[in-house]
Amino acid sequence: MKTEQHIDEFIRREKETIPNPYLSTRVMAKIEGLEKVKSKKASLWPALALAASIAAVAFLGVSIGNSYVESGTPEKILNINDRQIENLVYYNLDENE
Amino acid sequence: MSDEQLIKEITSGNHAAFKSLMEKYQLQVFRTVMGFVHTKEDAEEVTQDIFIRVYQSLSSFHHDAEFSTWLYRITVNMSLNFLRSNRKNRLLQSLEAIFSYRSEEKTPLEEMEQAERDRRIRMAIDALPEKQRMAFVLSRYEELPQKKIAEVMNRTEGAVEQLLQRAKENLQKKLSKP
Repeated sequence: MKTEQHIDEFIRREKETIPNPYLSTRVMAKIEGLEKVKSKKASLWPALALAASIAAVAFLGVSIGNSYVESGTPEKILNINDRQIENLVYYNLDENE
Repeated sequence: MSDEQLIKEITSGNHAAFKSLMEKYQLQVFRTVMGFVHTKEDAEEVTQDIFIRVYQSLSSFHHDAEFSTWLYRITVNMSLNFLRSNRKNRLLQSLEAIFSYRSEEKTPLEEMEQAERDRRIRMAIDALPEKQRMAFVLSRYEELPQKKIAEVMNRTEGAVEQLLQRAKENLQKKLSKP
């Protein structure tokens, strides 16, 4: 019987313990903090998507540029050689002065 | 405002409604947690974690059971999880409780006796098997009827009655030893 009374007394004292009056405020602050982190993460996605699309466009441009093959023939290139069009040795000859 | 209305408000984005819900239930949750952890600081920490969990999983609450039943389930499970992960610190805390116990109405000898008695009761409750302990805490700390305890524990009322009887016998046995 005495043991039962001691248990009752122990439980009564523990039940009288009151939590910090600011406990709910603390919890709300924590929840708001978690929500902010969540929304920060959410707002990071559009920026990441934009950066990724810019990088993709740049890469595509470089790849297209690299894949370009010149269609001109070597003979035509020789024809625009200045030395062939105008022979400079001609001006160095004494007889023509 | 009823629980159902408050939950609707919260899930539709009204954060202030959660504060109302918490203020309505925080003492019940805190008292139940006290039955498991026995110290104010730990009980506050676990209560805080419980309400954060409730907030995060409120959208998964489908009103199959009463909100209070659901809340008690979370409370009991998180309290037991806390005890499992903080087993090493428990002994230190019980020793601390003995030395920090003060009462102006009692002599130092009486204070020592009371602190020692409290320590033995605390250890006897903590040594109960989990199911008996759950039933004991909900019955004695929260004074819940057996029907409600049965709902929280997903058991029949008869099973809860048996658990309570066994918990009582176990405590008597442990505390009657010198």
